[in-house]
Amino acid sequence: MIRRTAALVILALALAACGNGGDDPEGAGSPQDGGSLTWGVETEPITFNPHLYAQAKARLLVWNTFEGLLTHDQRGGVVPWLATGYEAAKDGLSYTFKLREGVKFSDGTPLDAAAVKANIDQIRRPGYNPALLAVQLKNLKDVEVVDPLTVRYVLTRPDVLILDFIAAPQGALVSPASLETAKNLKAGGPDLAGTGPFLLDRYTAGQEVHFTRNPGYWGERPAHLNEITYRFLKEPSVRVGALTSGQVQVIEGVPATDQQLIEADPRLSLTRGLNAGTAYTYYLNASRAPFDDVRVRQAFREALDVDAVLNAVYRGTATRAWSVVGPTSPFYDKSLEKTYSGDPAKANSLLDRAGWTQRNADGFRTKDGKRLTVRLVQSAPFVRDRRDVLAQAVQAAVKQSAGIDLEVSLVDQGTATKALEDNEYEVFDNSRLDTDTGVALNLLLHSGGAINRTRVKDPAQDKLLDDAQATGDATKRTELYRQLQQRVVGEQALVLPLYAPADQIGAARTVGGVGFEPTAGVPVSAYGIWLGK
Amino acid sequence: MRAVLRRAGSGLIVLWAAATAAYLALLAAPGDTVDSIIGDGADTPLIRSQIIQEWGLDRPAVVQYLDYLWRAAHGDLGRSYLLQRPVRDVIGEQLTPTLELAVAAAALGVLIALVLAVTTRRAWARRTSSTTELVLVSTPPFLIGIVLLSVFSFRFGWFPVSGDRGVAALILPAVTLALPIAGVLTQVLRDGLDRALSEPFAVTARSRGLAENAVLIRHALRHALLPAVTLTGWLFGVLLGGAVIVEQVFGRPGLGQVTLAAVNSKDMPVVLAVVVLSAFVYVLINTLADVVYLAIDPRLRRS
Repeated sequence: MIRRTAALVILALALAACGNGGDDPEGAGSPQDGGSLTWGVETEPITFNPHLYAQAKARLLVWNTFEGLLTHDQRGGVVPWLATGYEAAKDGLSYTFKLREGVKFSDGTPLDAAAVKANIDQIRRPGYNPALLAVQLKNLKDVEVVDPLTVRYVLTRPDVLILDFIAAPQGALVSPASLETAKNLKAGGPDLAGTGPFLLDRYTAGQEVHFTRNPGYWGERPAHLNEITYRFLKEPSVRVGALTSGQVQVIEGVPATDQQLIEADPRLSLTRGLNAGTAYTYYLNASRAPFDDVRVRQAFREALDVDAVLNAVYRGTATRAWSVVGPTSPFYDKSLEKTYSGDPAKANSLLDRAGWTQRNADGFRTKDGKRLTVRLVQSAPFVRDRRDVLAQAVQAAVKQSAGIDLEVSLVDQGTATKALEDNEYEVFDNSRLDTDTGVALNLLLHSGGAINRTRVKDPAQDKLLDDAQATGDATKRTELYRQLQQRVVGEQALVLPLYAPADQIGAARTVGGVGFEPTAGVPVSAYGIWLGK
Repeated sequence: MRAVLRRAGSGLIVLWAAATAAYLALLAAPGDTVDSIIGDGADTPLIRSQIIQEWGLDRPAVVQYLDYLWRAAHGDLGRSYLLQRPVRDVIGEQLTPTLELAVAAAALGVLIALVLAVTTRRAWARRTSSTTELVLVSTPPFLIGIVLLSVFSFRFGWFPVSGDRGVAALILPAVTLALPIAGVLTQVLRDGLDRALSEPFAVTARSRGLAENAVLIRHALRHALLPAVTLTGWLFGVLLGGAVIVEQVFGRPGLGQVTLAAVNSKDMPVVLAVVVLSAFVYVLINTLADVVYLAIDPRLRRS
């Protein structure tokens, strides 16, 4: 039986308060209260309802107004937050939480076991968030009110990922009263009350969202800032210009081309944080030719000098990835580093052996008169980090080094979905931000996963994923995921990991407490941020 | 009276045709509605069935279409798939900022065009102005916006970068949108002026001893305005298309951004509402243009 105590909460508070190890730019001094801050953000949330959260870039806004029973620590684990502690049953079939006393939602409703249950009941209503029910809450049987300050999550089978849900934005608690009365529940907004350090009081779609300090916050201190405004500035160059001209004090999402500019400015600071979850990876469709042949998959990886294309596109600001699992995850298998890719001679000999021996007039390899073509279909609305440009660089590289024709098409979402459904693709690109990488791996690599684009149906691979989800023992999980990576990345060459997605924050040096959230690696909420004089 | 009724009738038909055409186009576009609601999220049969049920997508396309028309006729535009809010609210709160931008840009564009066309009659001024106009017409508004921002907001700090915060924040976006409009309109007006001045009535006016400026403004300009008014329909298209880009660059709220997001994610109810709204404004503007013709040209009043 695991028992975590309130001491950990203090630690968590301290961690959250100082962001990424207290990344304190000179000039901001020690924390002080007051002032208002403007932050230029890239993404406008499609919803402010935490249960329906789906955009990693909106995470920093969620934590301003909402909190969950658990939160993450620096090493990928979870620690109590609105709970004072929790116990896992020996059989792994239930988790019992003791709630913190005296916490109130901003509308005055007390936080008690019934409120926790009301949140789960809301999530389980038909049509509210089917995706959450089908994935994260697949194994949740019920939530029981044991006494006013004790609540128990009962599972149908052991599932350690339920803790990740409880610490995630979707698991954050909304006042049950406001769940009943909100005008547009699914869109969220000022009507939804949470327990967090700020209150969302004004939202102008397409322009900005404004928060004021929650004077009745339960934590050891209220937030430093009186108010904070997030402006939606979608154009990267406009965000940078707004920062350098002092119209906003903080921005996130600094393009590679402007990072030097900000670093060179004595009034500004630039910090980078690697995201949790999976690396940006090409998944190779092994269900059809030519990638049904492991030699062709290996050849594709050997044909590409990943470092060279990353440097060309991101000017040395990208972090090379060697596994599907991101390098900051506790499950990352470091032994995969430098074990493959970037060997054109090997690529060519592999292709020769696989029967792709002829060349056509354009220099592409052929076999029985068929060109060695692999198709990457990118859905335009989801392209970020100049991944379309990166794809073109990869295209040029694999053509030159091994005569592989990577056909890249940038299309609307409907067309992309259709290509994926009809199995008319060979390469699928994706990165996911999940605080527990296991969630992403289940979706991407399990034969029943919703985005299993390698189309591999391998019982041994499934078993590794299932066992890792069922065990509460961290060492055992790490070992299972290591075996999985050895298999998928190593032996089977089903994936080509490219880079670890990162976030960048550019800030005036007078702003203190900006940094990255523990584990998730995305920009922090405003709780620990202050304005120096 | 009959003329007014006829106009209203044909306006309704245009609205219906626009709504239907948009509906068919969206229906024919690849990928079905369920896919676009799921986005890049998880996709299981359970999720699908719940979405189908929630939005009533299991009904035949004809029934959905008739239901849509029926509700649209009653002012119910449905709910946004993406934003989970009534379309009327989404459009309603974004309409004003776009309208402000469009009116400001159109007024500024017309003003610049009038001033330029009348003042640049000398050969050298004409050449300079004409070249500038061509450059402006050929430059993407995106670039104009970024350049204006870099100079006047980032460098000199005269104007705020973004948002819907009073007149100061409206100037740069309005100028960005007005410049290409002014470019085209000036060319049309100047051409019209040239033609009017070579007409016999110009000679008559001069022979009456009128000063050249009076001939230009009181007589020739009136003639030159007619083709320019014909362009108002085009003007509206430029404003709407330009708003998408200008709003994005300047971080302004507005219909352009809503439309872009809706088209990208195939958010049918919002796209349809924007199309119908555009068609409505189009009809309105063309009717206004007809009235303006009458005001400008007495010959048309008699017929």
